[in-house]
Amino acid sequence: MSQPVVHIANLNLKYQQKPVLQDLNWTINRYENWLLCGTSGSGKTSLAKAIAGVDHSYGNIKIEFNAQSNLPATVYYVANWFQFKDLEGQSNFYYQQRYNKQSTETTATVKAELESFGKKNALQFNEVDSILAALGFSELKHSTLIQLSSGEHKKLQLVKAIWLKPQLLILDLPYNGLDTLSRQNLNTLLEEISEAGTQLILISNDEELPSCLNRFAVIKEGQLVEISADERTGNEFDTLDQAVPAFLAEATVASSSAEIIKMIDVNVSYGDKRVLKNINWEVKAGEKWVLQGHNGSGKSTLLSLICGDHPQAYANNFHLFGNKRGSGESIWEIKERIGLISPELHWYFDPSATVFQSIMSGFYDSSGLFCDPGYSKKIQTDELVSYFGLDEYKNTLMNELPLGKQRLALLARTIVKNPELLILDEPCQGLDQQQTKHFNRLVDGLCKNGTTLIYVGHFESQLPACIEKRILLENGAVKSVENILENVENEASIENVENFEY
Amino acid sequence: MSNYFNTLPLREQLNQLGVCDFMDSAEFLDGVNVLKGKKLVIVGCGAQGLNQGLNLRDSGLDVSYTLRAAAIEGKRDSWKNATDNNFTVGTYEELIPTADVVINLTPDKQHTAVVTAIMPLMKKGATLLYSHGFNIVEEGMQIRKDITVIMVAPKCPGSEVRAEYVRGFGVPTLIAVHPENDPEGKGLAQAKAYCVGTGGHRAGVLKSSFVAEVKSDLMGEQTILCGLLQTGSILSFDKMVEKGIDAGYASKLVQYGVEVITEALKHGGVTGMMDRLSNPAKIKAFEISEELKNIMRPLFQKHQDDIMSGEFSSTMMADWAAGDKNLLAWRAATGETAFEKTPAGDVKIAEQEYFDNYTLMVAFVRAGVELAFETMVQAGIKPESAYYESLHETPLIANTIARKKLFEMNRVISDTAEYGCYLFDQACKPLLADFMTKVDTDLVGKNFNEGKDGGVDNRTLIAINEALRTHEVEVIGTKLRKAMTAMKSIKTA
Ligand SMILES: NC(=O)c1ccc[n+]([C@@H]2O[C@H](COP(=O)([O-])OP(=O)(O)OC[C@H]3O[C@@H](n4cnc5c(N)ncnc54)[C@H](OP(=O)(O)O)[C@@H]3O)[C@@H](O)[C@H]2O)c1
Repeated sequence: MSQPVVHIANLNLKYQQKPVLQDLNWTINRYENWLLCGTSGSGKTSLAKAIAGVDHSYGNIKIEFNAQSNLPATVYYVANWFQFKDLEGQSNFYYQQRYNKQSTETTATVKAELESFGKKNALQFNEVDSILAALGFSELKHSTLIQLSSGEHKKLQLVKAIWLKPQLLILDLPYNGLDTLSRQNLNTLLEEISEAGTQLILISNDEELPSCLNRFAVIKEGQLVEISADERTGNEFDTLDQAVPAFLAEATVASSSAEIIKMIDVNVSYGDKRVLKNINWEVKAGEKWVLQGHNGSGKSTLLSLICGDHPQAYANNFHLFGNKRGSGESIWEIKERIGLISPELHWYFDPSATVFQSIMSGFYDSSGLFCDPGYSKKIQTDELVSYFGLDEYKNTLMNELPLGKQRLALLARTIVKNPELLILDEPCQGLDQQQTKHFNRLVDGLCKNGTTLIYVGHFESQLPACIEKRILLENGAVKSVENILENVENEASIENVENFEY
Repeated sequence: MSNYFNTLPLREQLNQLGVCDFMDSAEFLDGVNVLKGKKLVIVGCGAQGLNQGLNLRDSGLDVSYTLRAAAIEGKRDSWKNATDNNFTVGTYEELIPTADVVINLTPDKQHTAVVTAIMPLMKKGATLLYSHGFNIVEEGMQIRKDITVIMVAPKCPGSEVRAEYVRGFGVPTLIAVHPENDPEGKGLAQAKAYCVGTGGHRAGVLKSSFVAEVKSDLMGEQTILCGLLQTGSILSFDKMVEKGIDAGYASKLVQYGVEVITEALKHGGVTGMMDRLSNPAKIKAFEISEELKNIMRPLFQKHQDDIMSGEFSSTMMADWAAGDKNLLAWRAATGETAFEKTPAGDVKIAEQEYFDNYTLMVAFVRAGVELAFETMVQAGIKPESAYYESLHETPLIANTIARKKLFEMNRVISDTAEYGCYLFDQACKPLLADFMTKVDTDLVGKNFNEGKDGGVDNRTLIAINEALRTHEVEVIGTKLRKAMTAMKSIKTA
């Protein structure tokens, strides 16, 4: 074996003044593809960024590129979170802005973005189309960047990475927000580029991974610990096994109407592009739904209609909590009844609020807290802070926390007011498997009291047990609505959904 | 038509200039009820029109748009803005007669033409709403006596009005009722309800008057907001190039520096901005800003005097009549400055470096903010109004410079502001010529602290801190900012 590709000696790293990596050593040799897994907050992202030299370069990280290789001698890092910029290099977009049409386009199209990327890196333009197709992205070529959902932005980053085939590719939680087919195809693509010489460092807690991974590690107490292929499960975070806080468990949720949602032939289009086609859907009080469909099938648009975030709600025949939408209600009256978490909400959430303020802002449906909520709400918030194991971060600003911890705070925010309708759009993105399981158990507990639930999740094994009904979207239309039988084996239902989706 | 303000007796002039009441949130408990079920028709669907309308509809109000026929037929951007968001759009004839409230959100220059066209179509007892009072105050537009005339003026660009609303907040807003047109006494209640509809009530509302809003708005935009930022940027760039600093670096420092520096104003006022400097730099910035204040004071006073007397608006309206001859010539000239034509270099400048290497701009901003505020207050404008039109808006304008330099700033601001900005800039540069000969790269382009030992005289520092903190713009600013970001003051322990 020749020179190691990456050699890290005694790396010490701090994240917001706190040490995360302590005298970490790591050697990556040629032909090795590593999986890095473990709990959120253990330092995976910090390490990845350090290797990629995102913010600084470090003297004790040596990277030896292969001079014989015809692949670009570079480390390419795909972040778990991605902020895109408009044509002027600014990135201050706001929540749900993509739904408010303002004619002057200020962001580039996907096509233009790819062209400039390809040109800059001297790539072959004929190669990109098959990557786009594999990740289900071809249709989006003419969209502007602001029109993309967070999952789609993530895919665009992946497209670029795979097209580039860097000598070292670091992917941080690449599967977040990807549908089942895209995940499989991504794995195939990763296997292909690894075959061509790209080496991978993959950060993920998922189960289905590319077969080319051959080394596995976790970060424990600031150090890298190698594990075997089947040792990789999350741990920690047992706090969620505590009983659900009393103020949430005791109160039964009163529904303001027997019919929570009723959509009659709902349509949404942008120009000639139809995003939702004749949707008919009824959700009755207390029902527990899962909403599924491939990326771009219209799930997030559908949910944004329900949450009062989409202007086209006013042009449709659509009832919420028993009232026709657009009959004089304000969106704040609607939001008051809904507990929402979504990738979009997280993405645009006020990063300068503390964990405590963020959770409490759930009482007002605002991003950040703007008024004094009074004593009893503070007590309830405190209970949730403890329940989610966030005591030590209570007064920490959101942007000083790793994504997994931010997500926990936002999950607490979602349920803090014990709303009559819970909308959980991929709530567990960025959490490890254990955390996901715990959170879903909490959802099950909450839902016993009459809460109505709409849950978006791609994997059957990662859904709460209380789900009884499924609505499946395909290309903007309802493909099927069905009752899910109880006690179906997990295995069977995974197969089931895969057959269903494709 | 003649200048409304000039028709008033002195007593009434002072009276209206002095309307200024920072409203308690309890005043808004009735929400949007006064406007519930009423027909709101917005004229124009540009930056303010679209975003105010989106908010009002999301607050449960009935909103539609009317555009001039040409815009509808030509499917212009404003037509697309409205229809793509599923609003009803109609001609004046179709919609104005049905309206309970007509909201005029067309460019100020067009107001006389627009209001003259729509007024005969308005039903008896309807309300006409503005977001800026120029037409009423400076042009003396006369509105039919049965019509109520009110103003709701968000103190932020339209996109911000929307962004803050969707995150559950709002932007600071001025409201006013025109005393000549409140026949039924309902003006204030409607203005408050409208303000709730746009979300403004969550961020601090100032009850003002048309007169106070216009006279302070014009003053702010001409001097500190646009005028001084333009002058300061150009002089700083030219100085760096003259002293051999790389032009790309200079361009970047100036383009983005003004945004980074004024961002500090948002949170901690002038004190907060000055606190970003090292002690020696702070003392230096204080000293030169005192000097700048002395040099520029007569110019600020002249602008305020011309605004009060109506001299400014009549000169500008003469230029309107001449097809914007001066405005267009000055705009072209601004596009030709060396700063404008030098692209920002591909260099990384850390946040703190913008303060350390651009002490001169910190001094410009402090001098401009304090002078504008002081001059307005001396002229009879209340401190709250003066605060919004000086310190509060400075970072918002600076943001436009960061986007695309001065050309962008002048494109985004109103023609009125742009005209005043050029007037100021042309007069200010010669005034500062002597001062600038003394400026070296330690103040602009290089780190002020380089080669200094950081020692300062303690008493001097204490005196400076005291002077900064007790300035009236800081005292009032602390109070108003608290209302704007209530969250910041909440005890979470
Ligand atoms: N921008 C700000 O930050 C701000 C802040 C507070 C208050 N305001 C005030 O808000 C008002 C609107 O400003 P804005 O910046 O929103 O303006 P804008 O973006 O320029 O929009 C103007 C709208 O008026 C229409 N319009 C133009 N000329 C017209 C005419 N002769 N007759 C009828 N309609 C016409 C335009 O449509 P077409 O050209 O397509 O017909 C467009 O929809 C002004 O009074 C301004 O002072 C602005």
